Amino acid sequence: MASFVPTSADTLEDQRLYTSARLTDVACLDCLARVGVKKNSDHHTSIQWSREAREACPELSRRDGRGRDHHQGCPRLSASIESAVREGKVDIGAEDGY
Amino acid sequence: MSDTRILDKGTPPERFARGWHCLGLADSFGDGKPHRIEAFGGQLVVWQDTQGGLNVLDGYCRHMGGDLTQGTVKGDEIACPFHDWRWGGDGKCKAIPYARRVPLRARTQKYPTAIRNGQLLIWHDVEGSAADHDLLPPELPGVGTDEYTDWTWEVVPITDSHCRELIDNVVDMAHFYYVHFSFPTSFRNVFEGHQATQFMESKGRPDMTGGYGDAELFLKSEATYYGPSYMINWLDVDYKGFETEVILINCHIPTGPDSFTLQYGITVKKPEGIDDKTAAYISKKYAEMFGGGFLQDVHIWKNKVPVQNPLLCEEDGPVYQLRRWYEQFYVDRADVQPEMVDRFEFEVDTTKANEYWQEEVAQNLARKAADEKAADEAPTSTESDTPSVMTGT
Ligand code: FES
Ligand SMILES: [Fe+2]
Repeated sequence: MASFVPTSADTLEDQRLYTSARLTDVACLDCLARVGVKKNSDHHTSIQWSREAREACPELSRRDGRGRDHHQGCPRLSASIESAVREGKVDIGAEDGY
Repeated sequence: MSDTRILDKGTPPERFARGWHCLGLADSFGDGKPHRIEAFGGQLVVWQDTQGGLNVLDGYCRHMGGDLTQGTVKGDEIACPFHDWRWGGDGKCKAIPYARRVPLRARTQKYPTAIRNGQLLIWHDVEGSAADHDLLPPELPGVGTDEYTDWTWEVVPITDSHCRELIDNVVDMAHFYYVHFSFPTSFRNVFEGHQATQFMESKGRPDMTGGYGDAELFLKSEATYYGPSYMINWLDVDYKGFETEVILINCHIPTGPDSFTLQYGITVKKPEGIDDKTAAYISKKYAEMFGGGFLQDVHIWKNKVPVQNPLLCEEDGPVYQLRRWYEQFYVDRADVQPEMVDRFEFEVDTTKANEYWQEEVAQNLARKAADEKAADEAPTSTESDTPSVMTGT
């Protein structure tokens, strides 16, 4: 049962656009994690993990998730994304805000 | 005509979120009297038993609907003011003094409790599941000891807004500038499992000063929701080189479909060489500042409409992903989807916003200086008390 129910079908399309459109698959160069990446600009990055990817990341698995370091990403994955960007595998730019 | 963007207001949820909810400072319930807490569309009764344990039951007696919050604590039980039925913390009726026996079915709604960081939390789930202690917020090391000031605690009832408006602020980078007059320079979100985090670095807006607002104020803030309603906000404040470590608790209890009670608490790590009285004063000042900050939000919420389909620009935070995360607390456990709990990270690009805001602040300062010069002959002091420190929400 959904909770906040949209009243327009267009809203479902918006949800799809903002959450899952234009994600590029990027593999970590150090572990088996594969994530979805979107870069709307040089400084913007959006990273969608799956459960499988999350379990594969040794760096994040080391943290207990209860402290102040919760916001930090995995530096190895960041490096992998940067290298994918340098190789032109990840488009940089947005499409009408998403 | 068809190009016009339509606001989809949607329909609010019919249920209240599953998870731990904070009712307030545990100490405040220990006076031997029943306490009334408005929650989940009704009211709860809270009292302390003879062992010092805190108990929470639905506030209405299952006999004839008497108001237990107006009853009396007798021994370990809460006695109803209507016919003196005695209810125990386990939800069972323990005695009916005028009756031969207690009906077997005399059980009421009880809420499992936990104490965290000196606060009373209860577990709420419309499915009636057992309390999940793995989902409790963490204990804060040092808090409650002499290292930190006592909690300054405030309670603010909010009407005409669903509590999701409060949650939305986790991702709302730009509103910190426009609503709270602070200047975010770095902004990041991470959602995973039952946690949603906002990381922000900001500085005060010198054009909107008062109190702490200042170009020399720098903030590093890490704010995490543990479940649907309890946020811990760690704050490193640097004011003119003077560093303070502040912890802000921002939590709420939904009271109806478009109302909730906001509660927030502040504790400050006592800086070295500062006596307790001064530390308490600093803590109180921060509480006032955040209190003012919440009121700025409330004013926006009261006058806005709910939106299911926000239209975003590239500089906005991940509103849709945050709401996808929040949805997990409003569906049956069996219906929680992987994407609601899978890890998601989002780094906001603040470059363009910062360029524009720098310029706007400079213009405002120049205009202010010119105005002051013009008004020099008839000086009128207009000391603004606008809070310029706000994080988390
Ligand atoms: S209604 Fe509570 S004792 Fe009768
Ligand atoms: Fe806010």
